[in-house]
Amino acid sequence: MTLSHPIRFDDLTVNFDDRFQLNHINWQIEPQQHWVITGTNGAGKSALAAVLTGAGDIVSGTLDGIAPSAGITPRVGLVSFEAQAVLIETERKKDDADIMDVISEGTPVYEILFEDCQDIALAKELADKFDLTKLLDRSFRKLSTGESRKVMLIRALASKPDLLVLDEPFDGLDTHSLAMLQAHLQTLIKTVPMVMVLNRFDEFPEFITHIAYIDQGQLQLQVQRDDATAFDELYKLLHLKTTDLTVPAPDPDTQTPALNPGEPLVRLTDLTIKYDDKKIIDRLNWTVEPNQHWQLSGPNGSGKTGLLSIINGDHPQCYVNDIFVFGFKRGSGESIWQIKQFIGYVSTALQWEYKGTTGLRNVILSGFHDSNGLYTRCTDRQKTIANEWLALLGMSDRGDEIFSKLSYGDQRLLLIARAMVKHPPLLILDEPCLGLDDMNRQMVLALIEKICAGSGISVIYVNHHPEDKIKGIENYISLG
Amino acid sequence: MSNNYFNTLPLREQLEQLAKCRFMDISEFPDGVEALKGKKIVVIGCGAQGLAQGMNLRDSGCDVSYTLRQAAIDEKRQSWKSATENGFTVGTYEELIPTADVVLNLTPDKQHTAVVNAIMPLMKQGACLSYSHGFNIVEEGMKIRDDLTVIMVAPKCPGSEVRNEYVRGFGVPTLIAVHEDNDPKGEGLALAKAYAVGTGGHKAGVLMSSFIAEVKSDLMGEQTILCGMLQTGSLLCFDKMIEEGIDAGYASKLIQYGWETITEALKYGGVTNMLDRLSNPAKIKCFDLAEELKQIMRPLYNKHQDDIINGTFSRVMMEDWANDDVNLLGWRAETAETAFEKTPAGDVEISEQEYFDNGILMVAMVKAGVELAFETMTAAGIIADSAYYESLHETPLIANTIARKKLYEMNATISDTAEYGCYLYNHACLPLLADFMKDIKTDVIGKGLKLDDLGVDNARLIEVNAELRAHPVEAIGTVLRGHMADMKKIV
Repeated sequence: MTLSHPIRFDDLTVNFDDRFQLNHINWQIEPQQHWVITGTNGAGKSALAAVLTGAGDIVSGTLDGIAPSAGITPRVGLVSFEAQAVLIETERKKDDADIMDVISEGTPVYEILFEDCQDIALAKELADKFDLTKLLDRSFRKLSTGESRKVMLIRALASKPDLLVLDEPFDGLDTHSLAMLQAHLQTLIKTVPMVMVLNRFDEFPEFITHIAYIDQGQLQLQVQRDDATAFDELYKLLHLKTTDLTVPAPDPDTQTPALNPGEPLVRLTDLTIKYDDKKIIDRLNWTVEPNQHWQLSGPNGSGKTGLLSIINGDHPQCYVNDIFVFGFKRGSGESIWQIKQFIGYVSTALQWEYKGTTGLRNVILSGFHDSNGLYTRCTDRQKTIANEWLALLGMSDRGDEIFSKLSYGDQRLLLIARAMVKHPPLLILDEPCLGLDDMNRQMVLALIEKICAGSGISVIYVNHHPEDKIKGIENYISLG
Repeated sequence: MSNNYFNTLPLREQLEQLAKCRFMDISEFPDGVEALKGKKIVVIGCGAQGLAQGMNLRDSGCDVSYTLRQAAIDEKRQSWKSATENGFTVGTYEELIPTADVVLNLTPDKQHTAVVNAIMPLMKQGACLSYSHGFNIVEEGMKIRDDLTVIMVAPKCPGSEVRNEYVRGFGVPTLIAVHEDNDPKGEGLALAKAYAVGTGGHKAGVLMSSFIAEVKSDLMGEQTILCGMLQTGSLLCFDKMIEEGIDAGYASKLIQYGWETITEALKYGGVTNMLDRLSNPAKIKCFDLAEELKQIMRPLYNKHQDDIINGTFSRVMMEDWANDDVNLLGWRAETAETAFEKTPAGDVEISEQEYFDNGILMVAMVKAGVELAFETMTAAGIIADSAYYESLHETPLIANTIARKKLYEMNATISDTAEYGCYLYNHACLPLLADFMKDIKTDVIGKGLKLDDLGVDNARLIEVNAELRAHPVEAIGTVLRGHMADMKKIV
């Protein structure tokens, strides 16, 4: 039989021995669908797949379509590293149980393969194709990882499953076996829905219809394979999340002057901003020390952006206030470019102003000069660094595309790279997630988190949404 | 009445001053704003240009304050508000001028004589007085105290752009000059260069010119191709389209945004590129129209240049100043009443290419005007670099103001001097082109050529392309745009 009705997760929370919890999962797998679950390490991909095989304890919510109903229990074929580990562990224990005082050879492969097998003919055929026939008499525990993975696969495939759950099925398979497996899966697509856990996008089989993206135990996004835009964005997100990101090094030739480590980066004394006679900010005192991360919040119109532009030197009233930034008392003969060199700045307003036909690589390079557009010749070294940033964003081959033609989210990512390219002592992020959809928000937060984890940078982060928290921020200031 | 300074010079010196213009390399500005460091800069006037320049200079580390007339302060006029809201010290002439090392006169031309007469006695011994337009010195013959240094720094863009480009980390092309009669300490050039750096101009290109070359070329450009030709062209093209039954909303939109679109092509690649945007048959048609227009209008361009060189223009205009601007205000009111001005742009989609295809006559007018202005200026002894900036380079800027709010707004934005010259040109040019316009049909304005076949005669096309590219404005334009592209915008 095949699955005749959907598998439905309804606000399902599942606990795994208090080690991990999946929270409030809403998900539906239709009989004709084939899913990939993807996400970072530890996000809960395997846990979610395992729920389909009955693992974990349901805390709340419901799961329909898997449990026995009307006397029929759907058969779920499972391949996973965990299941493989369990089987191997079981075999190892058998070896330890030497009550017979004979050396146990362990269970032979044929027994593991054919005992309780639903389709012996298929199992034999697959064993042959996988080149396992000559190993049938060998003890299962003596198989290599790849070989035991093949055994797992044959067991699952020959169980006449109603649902196949394949957690990283391609791991450890040689090219020949991989092609063989993929060809076999192809023959099942009309009859057996599949849920796969895969990390690598390039391994997604053609027949996959849907992708579920999970992060921190929550199902964050569900994307249809044929939605090219969403699929492309998910690819970039995963690239950001899963690649071992190293932020490209600064340019040794354009280092900002050293700051006195004993002095604060920013010190505002009795800051007052007023328009006409209306005071937007009234006598605010605030000090930002090196390596401190701040979150700035406050309702609309409370002066958040004004405050930031005072620090950045864009607000004319910085000349009528007592402002100390990066060793300069404002209005003492310094230029704004001497201030801006210490700051990386990202805001929606900057994005609006960043019009024109600047190419993506040049947008990043403009960060070396704090300019909107690129007007200065750059060194080869700087261009290399810009290329490294493009690679980090998953945009390696797009350096010559035009900024204004990019999606909103991609533009935001580039502006963050632009702000970061010079490794400024202070990074100001004015609502970096504003106007972004779920996917792009995830991407932006992922990038910022990577950056904050590095050392030597203080972050001032403005946002309204508690769920957009950034790890590592420990200081809070609220206006209005 | 005034005493025209240019006319007091011997011919030899007139020619030498007219021919002054050199494009400065960014490497000539290694000292940045150093020459202005520690000096007190006082700006007179806080309009768009005054505010923009003051903010840029302050952001470059200079000490800037504003001085306004007592009445502007007492009545808290817009200029007072702009300066104080932006955190500048504001004071009367008496309070601030005596403290100033450098005084920037950024008031309208018309007020220069009164302003300079009021501040000169108050200025510190050995201070510097800076203009952004040389009219007062050259045309009115203002004599400045011998101990004062007199310079000019003239950003070639409206104030808003001067500020915006600076904030972006760039600048706008800027013309600088030293009034040689007033450079007692020989520091004029250093101050002018530092000032150009302070406003960001050095990044976009600085032209070292003379007061005379600036005035005579600026006046010529603004009243002919820049404002005059676009105004006359707008009125003629609109009326023709209405006469030929084109929808009024479409006609209005084609003109209002057409100038901007076609001169954008001019800005990037000169007259050649502007015409290259047309199909081959349309290009040949446009070329022929432009040749005809040039022939008809050449005497008018010569007359404008002659009147500017010999001082007739400024004399006549100043008579109108003395007569409460009766002519200027009357002509301004007339402009507001034209059919083009009163017909709002229709809610129709016009693609970028369509502005070219359906606006062949407009392209021909821009070509004719740019080339004539350039040819007339260089024939009068103005050097090609200068003539390029005052004709081709600035045309897109004026086209932008027409795109924003049509002619009335364009005239309100430009200086009164430019506006006056624009009306003079317009009144002479409209009747001059009356006969020419009789033969004009919608194939060159409104609908485009109806072609089943884009074929042209090879020999004719080669001839037209060669003539386009051989014009001297194209040669200097290629060089100057190359300079700009080198140091700026990688667009």
